[in-house]
Amino acid sequence: MMNTFNILRPLAWRNLWRNPRRTGITLIVVVVGLWSVLTFSALLGAWAASSRDEALGLLIGQGQIHAAGYMDDPNIDHLMPPASPELTAVLNGDMVENWVERLEVPAVVQSEYKTLPITILGVDPAGELEISTLPSKIVAGRYLTSLDDDGVIIGLNLAKRLKTELGRRVILMSLGSDGYLAQQSFDVVGIFDADQSFEDNNVFTGRSLAQHYLGLEDEISQIAFTVPLDENLPMVMEQITAAAPDLDSREWRKLSVMLAAMDTSMGSIIYVWLGIMIVMISIGIINTQLMAVFERTQEFGLMRALGLKPKMVLILVTFESTLLIGVGVLLAVVLALMTVYALSDGIDLSAFAQALEEFQQAQVLYPTVNTSDFIIFPLIIWLLGILVALWPAYRAQKVSPVEAMRNAT
Amino acid sequence: MQPDTAKNPIVTCRNVEKTFGKGDLAVHALRGINLEIMAGDFATLAGPSGSGKTTLLNMIGALDHPTKGEVIIEGKALSGLSKAQLSDLRLHKIGFIFQAYNLIPVFSALENVEFVLQLQQVPKVERRERAITALTEVGLAGMENRRPGAMSGGQQQRVAVARALVSKPSIVLADEPTANLDSKTTAELMALMSKLNSELGITFVIGTHDPRVMQHSKRHIEMIDGKIESDIRS
Repeated sequence: MMNTFNILRPLAWRNLWRNPRRTGITLIVVVVGLWSVLTFSALLGAWAASSRDEALGLLIGQGQIHAAGYMDDPNIDHLMPPASPELTAVLNGDMVENWVERLEVPAVVQSEYKTLPITILGVDPAGELEISTLPSKIVAGRYLTSLDDDGVIIGLNLAKRLKTELGRRVILMSLGSDGYLAQQSFDVVGIFDADQSFEDNNVFTGRSLAQHYLGLEDEISQIAFTVPLDENLPMVMEQITAAAPDLDSREWRKLSVMLAAMDTSMGSIIYVWLGIMIVMISIGIINTQLMAVFERTQEFGLMRALGLKPKMVLILVTFESTLLIGVGVLLAVVLALMTVYALSDGIDLSAFAQALEEFQQAQVLYPTVNTSDFIIFPLIIWLLGILVALWPAYRAQKVSPVEAMRNAT
Repeated sequence: MQPDTAKNPIVTCRNVEKTFGKGDLAVHALRGINLEIMAGDFATLAGPSGSGKTTLLNMIGALDHPTKGEVIIEGKALSGLSKAQLSDLRLHKIGFIFQAYNLIPVFSALENVEFVLQLQQVPKVERRERAITALTEVGLAGMENRRPGAMSGGQQQRVAVARALVSKPSIVLADEPTANLDSKTTAELMALMSKLNSELGITFVIGTHDPRVMQHSKRHIEMIDGKIESDIRS
């Protein structure tokens, strides 16, 4: 085997470069194909991560805990007490980064001109600073300052629809703990800019103030938490369930099915693209390798006449393809790494800010190298490339030495 | 035919026939060839185009199978050998020289000559020594590292001769080896092959219709219409 390798190695390598144009075309096909797959994968990954982080960072977190029944009927009847000592111990553990308690109830907001349905979120402003990106999205006025802050912050589009503005008052109305309508007027102290749906549906105020206005004591409707490492999430969920078996704890994939579906579909898209590239690369390899075999029919016949066994011709041509595709794969990986590295400081999409906002997408994408993609995709291309090159190699193996004699004389 | 009974034949053809095509389109390239090539022969296979010279060389070189009859090389009948066995036989017993040189273009002269030895799994040091010796014998000392593209036709044919000889084959088959060479180079090449035959006892069978080649021949086999018309030793 080593002898075969030693015989064929220099021959295969030099044969690669005897027709630089053809080798160049094949290399370009492999390099561009694989580079596009890897770069596209990094960009889609960045897009998915950005979209996920943007949505999770705004309000959802990596997971939430609610009272049983709240998710099916999110009203004031399905509240829960603050975190128990057992649950607090889990949430203060190493794997959880931050957590906050919120009161979230359906309500209506009324301005001088309009009444619209919304959700009131009573929040802990200090805690939200650690867990939510909302404070950074204030475009006018200020964020909430304390649990007792009696101002509200509303979305940009909601302000437009209500025909209200910073410094004006709005009235929030909701069902109170006593079963009667609770209402209170609030100053609009801040306006935030997020996606339109989020702007239209959420109004924020201090949690204690909201509890007081609704006639509650310390009841809350949700605990949101962040887990920096997604792989730790299942373990955290298990611990939470064990610490609070009567509560309804869910990770983000179950809280936002759309977001989870989008996360999965990004993976599907890249595999579709990979499939298209494999077909293109395969056609390119078969085409160029068949041409190479046809052009060298006489040479294969000569080598057979000199005593080279048929299977060694097969190995030679396969080896040439292996080297050729291998060089292309290496170049593509290096090029893709360089591309991703060059873009790793961020791709500024602020020119499309409005459209991105609707996709809950950050304005700057940060592509990163996904190690498994950079190993698996090149291997797939390499192995399938070798596989499709077996056909030209088989043709070369079938060359008759007598044909070479006939052509040579 | 005048077999040399003092030696065993290297090649024996028994009633060899070769037909290409079928029915009305059938071409009978060889019609009952009986021939023995003895060790040390320097035979020319002559005849007009279409007389069957190349077809017979292909049979003797284990490159093609007869339609009828048997080819035996050093006592081994070729019929029934697999492709791999035939490859082995060619590798160890037969040297080829082609009209168009047929060197491997990506190899240097030395590597072309070494290639056959490498297939025979000759150790590297011995391989290198034997290849250099073979190239020196054909007058190409100092040109070992040139690639075929950088050599004249005569030089390339000398490399082909060195390649054919380096593996110490039982027989060297040459099909029109001088067809692409000028008179001077032809004379040099034939002198070289005659010398190798007389000094080293290498057996040559040369298919040709070049009188300059025939004049070096010790055995002249004339073919017409797929048959041996005459077989004369000088």
